[in-house]
Amino acid sequence: MNKNTPAMMPLAANWALTVRCNFNCNHCYSRTDSSPELALKEIKVIVDKLVRSRVLFVNFGGGEPLLRKDLFEIANYAKRRGLHISMNSNGSLITKAAAKNIKESGFRQVGISMDSHLSGIHDKFRNAPGSHKKAIAAIGRLKKAGIEVSVSSVICKINHTNFEKIIALAKKLKVNKINLHNYKCGGREFANRDNLDLSPEEWRDFYGKVLEIKSREKEMDISLDDPIIASLKNTENKSLVQGSICGKLSFYIKSNGDMTPCGFIPTKIGNILTDSFKEAWESSPILHTMRNKEPKGKCKKCKFFTSCIGGCTARAYAISGDFNSPDPHCWYEPKN
Amino acid sequence: MKKIKRNPEIAWREEEEMRNKVEEILKQGGETEEVSKKGTVTLVYSGAMHQLNLLGGEIWKLCDGTRTEEEIGEELLKTFDAERDIILKDLKEFILDLQNKKWLFYE
Repeated sequence: MNKNTPAMMPLAANWALTVRCNFNCNHCYSRTDSSPELALKEIKVIVDKLVRSRVLFVNFGGGEPLLRKDLFEIANYAKRRGLHISMNSNGSLITKAAAKNIKESGFRQVGISMDSHLSGIHDKFRNAPGSHKKAIAAIGRLKKAGIEVSVSSVICKINHTNFEKIIALAKKLKVNKINLHNYKCGGREFANRDNLDLSPEEWRDFYGKVLEIKSREKEMDISLDDPIIASLKNTENKSLVQGSICGKLSFYIKSNGDMTPCGFIPTKIGNILTDSFKEAWESSPILHTMRNKEPKGKCKKCKFFTSCIGGCTARAYAISGDFNSPDPHCWYEPKN
Repeated sequence: MKKIKRNPEIAWREEEEMRNKVEEILKQGGETEEVSKKGTVTLVYSGAMHQLNLLGGEIWKLCDGTRTEEEIGEELLKTFDAERDIILKDLKEFILDLQNKKWLFYE
């Protein structure tokens, strides 16, 4: 199989059911999005389309998905149609009853956002007093209800030197998976990047340390989703494709049904409700470019290009307007 | 005899287009080695993705908890034009490998 151009339908859809949120986070990628929401009936049509397209996984996000009153009905429908469903939540609305409903409606896994092990930092970053405490309570309730829980942290200036303490907190809460997300440049992330994003050298040091911990960590599954780590030792590609999986194995659905390659690339490839999904997926010139990236700049002489394929396309596009530009986080300087 | 079942935690699907392509290659007398590298079934388990080739994919589909190893072997012999001993040996090795990975189990 050509790892860079797989001729297969996506495995996963990341779906923002709503852009509404009860928090106001400094790094939110969807707060600048004012797309309307679809009705339940339309959402069910989309679920059917995803099933027909043989998508396996749907991860609900947003916005805070629990703000949709019909979330459990949506989840239950998707589950009955055979999809594996999960969601990302800030945890604030996960009461004991909500945790039970989450389980009963068919969610397999819930990711709870955690920006710091310290409540003061987490709460301030989310502009939501008490949110850290609520996130911790949510984890306990979900676990009690029998849901697989992961902790999700977007790595940035406030946590890159003490992420180990977030891992320790997750362990204390008996969570065995943590997703350390790289800082993209969508929405407020772009606006606040000067204050929050790390320098390429800081990214190198962060990943070096995480990979070292990951290699000896037995109790915690530490998940990294950044293709630029290909230039470091101890990396393992668990994907069927090289580079970013966006637009190759996964895609994003906005609250109004518009499809983009990922949540951080605003370029529309079609609307899943009104357009043919197969045609959009197979014929979109944007996806074609993303699946067949050409090395530019320092990537041209880089020996790691065949593994990382230029890194995160969303970041390259946000900063330069060119999908093929080198990832601005990349620290590696190829020798002549 | 015990029946063989897939691990229900594993999400999987058949890659129909690839499967059709592989069957076309075989019909036209293509190399078995060439098709053995093409994934016709995709599995996702514990965050990692895997693909099975045509024979592996057919075995995987048959492991639905209704058949023993012998019964799966008989089904494969109806589909694949290969020597009985080779098919059965491949089947045994495949099942053992996937059992060790906890992808398949006997019930």
